[in-house]
Amino acid sequence: MLALAVEPPPVATEAPVDDQALIVAALAGHGDAFGELVGRYQRAVYHLAARTLHDAAEAEDATQEAFFKAYRALHSFRPGAKFSTWIFTICYRLCCDRIAKRKRISGDELPDRADPGAGPELLAERNDEALRLRAAIDALPEKYRTVITLYHLQGKQYEEIATVLNLPLGTVKTHLFRAKEQLRKALST
Amino acid sequence: MMDDDALDRALAALPLDEPPAGLHQRIMARTVYAPRTVFRTWEIWAIALLAGLASWLCWLVASAPHAADRIASASTHLIANSGLSSMNTLLWLAAGVSAAWWLVQLTLPTRRPPSIEAQ
Repeated sequence: MLALAVEPPPVATEAPVDDQALIVAALAGHGDAFGELVGRYQRAVYHLAARTLHDAAEAEDATQEAFFKAYRALHSFRPGAKFSTWIFTICYRLCCDRIAKRKRISGDELPDRADPGAGPELLAERNDEALRLRAAIDALPEKYRTVITLYHLQGKQYEEIATVLNLPLGTVKTHLFRAKEQLRKALST
Repeated sequence: MMDDDALDRALAALPLDEPPAGLHQRIMARTVYAPRTVFRTWEIWAIALLAGLASWLCWLVASAPHAADRIASASTHLIANSGLSSMNTLLWLAAGVSAAWWLVQLTLPTRRPPSIEAQ
């Protein structure tokens, strides 16, 4: 009888650890727990920074700074709160500081660093829906763009978006409604 | 014109920006693997300030006329008045210092930090 020495496939027995447990472990000195949190959120945080700042190098700096601040202030993290909302809030404030710094350096009103090629002519040429949507988001005014970016990251959690942006819930809903309206218009052209 | 659900679906399908390679390592190097500093910046400033103040006070005392005589006289007066010349006081002091030393040497069991897997 032929015995095949085939190893059984690895069984995924480890359940994913929730953020709260990772924070507790990180506070207890487990560096790998914080590494896991970084792994989970670095892409979303970078996305928020990149969409807000429109500068890859600055977005990377802001992402690093956000996690650095979060690590330093981890002991003050309120149990029961969402880590994603917390890290997005830190990142968004850092981005606002950077935008304010840009405005101070460049003088008065800063021209929004939107995609320069995101005009309606170019939009019409772009067939790929994702690219067109991305370009349409980039062409939105800053306040709508941030709301849409967080809506993209957080889903329909309006309260979380309001917390990150420090705006009333009604304002978030209004911004979101107008942002979607502008996106629909841009995509229908 | 695209309806709300279609726009939501398109937004949900939109891929996130890809972070630069090595970002995770750089974040870890700045946080978890960052070398621990013995003192924080404000602590270094505070220590330097206190050291400067102490040096200035020492210089002020030492530069006073007949400083050596006055310091010797004050020390003698202090020892005489504080009872340090009495054998009983010295014995009590020795007992106190010894008890404090033994308490410092005691190692109490510390709670083991919870492991990630355990949670």
